[in-house]
Amino acid sequence: MSEILRGRAWVFSDDVDTDLIYHNKYLAETDPKKMPQYSFEYYPGKENFAKEVKPGDFVVAGKNFGCGSSREHAVYCLKEAGVPVILAETCSRIYYRNAINNGYPVLFVKGLSEAIKAGKIKDGDELEVELGTGTIKDSTSGSAFHGDAVSDLERDIMSAGGLIPYLKSKKK
Amino acid sequence: MGKTMIMKIMERAAHKEVHVGERVWCDIDWSTARDFGGANCTLQFDEITEKQGRVWDSDKIAFTFDLQAPSHSEKVSNNQKIIREFAKRQGIKHVFDINHGIGQHVLLENGLVKPGDVILGTDSHMNLLGGVAAFATGVGNTDIAASWLSGTNWFRVPETMKIEATGEFQCGVSMRDFLTRLVGDLGAGGLDFLAVEFAGDAIERSTLAERITLCSMVTEMSGKIGLILPNGPVLEWLAGRAGPEVRSRVASIAPDADAPYIETRKYDVSKLEPLASCPDAPDNVKTVREIAGTPVDQVHIGSCSNGRFEDIAAAFAVLEKSGFKVSPSVRTIITPATNEVMRRCASEGLIEKFLDAGIVFTNPTCALCTAEHYGALPGGDVGCSTTNRNFIGKVGKGSHTYLLSPMTAMATAVKGVITDPRDIIC
Repeated sequence: MSEILRGRAWVFSDDVDTDLIYHNKYLAETDPKKMPQYSFEYYPGKENFAKEVKPGDFVVAGKNFGCGSSREHAVYCLKEAGVPVILAETCSRIYYRNAINNGYPVLFVKGLSEAIKAGKIKDGDELEVELGTGTIKDSTSGSAFHGDAVSDLERDIMSAGGLIPYLKSKKK
Repeated sequence: MGKTMIMKIMERAAHKEVHVGERVWCDIDWSTARDFGGANCTLQFDEITEKQGRVWDSDKIAFTFDLQAPSHSEKVSNNQKIIREFAKRQGIKHVFDINHGIGQHVLLENGLVKPGDVILGTDSHMNLLGGVAAFATGVGNTDIAASWLSGTNWFRVPETMKIEATGEFQCGVSMRDFLTRLVGDLGAGGLDFLAVEFAGDAIERSTLAERITLCSMVTEMSGKIGLILPNGPVLEWLAGRAGPEVRSRVASIAPDADAPYIETRKYDVSKLEPLASCPDAPDNVKTVREIAGTPVDQVHIGSCSNGRFEDIAAAFAVLEKSGFKVSPSVRTIITPATNEVMRRCASEGLIEKFLDAGIVFTNPTCALCTAEHYGALPGGDVGCSTTNRNFIGKVGKGSHTYLLSPMTAMATAVKGVITDPRDIIC
């Protein structure tokens, strides 16, 4: 039985691009710890995310989350803010790689895009997420979802803590 | 069952048979970084190797300075310096500093890219190199640092969609309009995790510049790579730059007749008209006729998608028909993709005419795709651009951008409002 994570939902639409997650204005930043202050600054209605997000809160999104640029800043800014997992119907492929390579979990949740549009999961809802089984419960609305696990290789990279520790462990 | 192009490319790089959906480790032919993301890569590499590490092969690493060239701030200047010093320390000779242009184009012009190569870079439009059948992909700094350690990286073997384009473009319509049609039809996530093969007589006749345009914006559909097998003049050009091995590479990665495609889409490009990606998403597509008359503040022609000589020449032809004058109410900026393109614009007399017309002609750079360099838009302004993204606030908070073909962009610069180029040149 894996650990159950509890936190509030921050809900986003389909096709959230990397400029909305972390704007190109701040690309010269090289220190991941300084990146959370810029998260979602350009996302209409979520300008206060960086100030108000608490460690343990979840990012919940529809389809194709993280489309656009290859900037890893868009993963660091959420990981370093203490968002424990991205819940999205799908992620854009480069964003997905960047997350896995950092040992940062992403759950692909079927039906999430429609559920967001239908208001079955809303900003501020209290969520319970079990990473091991992919079970997601919205205690506020009573909705339940299921997130798909990743492939064997991605699971191995994730459990090593990311691509670099994975490669180092293979060299030994 | 036969194999698609991407499967053959991955088999060469993985030294084994591959199957769709499987994860494989591929040898990397080039692992590159730009001034954006480059310092993040070198700092990460130094951190994980405690500054003692050597890169796996200094001849397979390249740095390109293009996002903010020349640098506009001390922070960026410092990042560029970090890269130069790392390259020196590691014996990396392929450093294309601020006087070269947009990275992928520079690699291509310097004969460093061959069909079938596996190439990484910190630019999500690396995949424009699919225009010469290289598997090039944008990645983050961890992927780059990892490849510098090991010379390999992991990939999912993707399903492939085939897109067949037949027919000839009508006057005033270009490959950019076909691409805009595709982005509108497939949507921002329409190719997520997929490879694409472009085929058909319209593709076989297309120039290198057109192939680059088409493959660059596979990213705007979240695709992994769009591939076009080099043929005709493109193959000749490539062999002249990258050497005769290019020909055997093409033969070795040609897709089999019975290759598995998840879907085949067919388009007759002769039925297309000028199109636009409207604010604030590339897949928000309308015909130029529908939005004609919209006032604009700035027009930009350039970028990795439409910054080749042929793109600039197409805009020039529209300007020529208009008596070499742009609207005084519009700021018009042209940015060539590379120094080589810029030199040709100069030697063929284009630059002088652009300057006479009141146009700003800049050095090659990616700068106009950001809000942090020259050409950024103030809130409330409407821009028109041949770049590849018009996301909310991308080049300035509160501004909005229409993405257009070079011909439509210049017609708009001439009239000061969004204008169908057929009204001027056809």
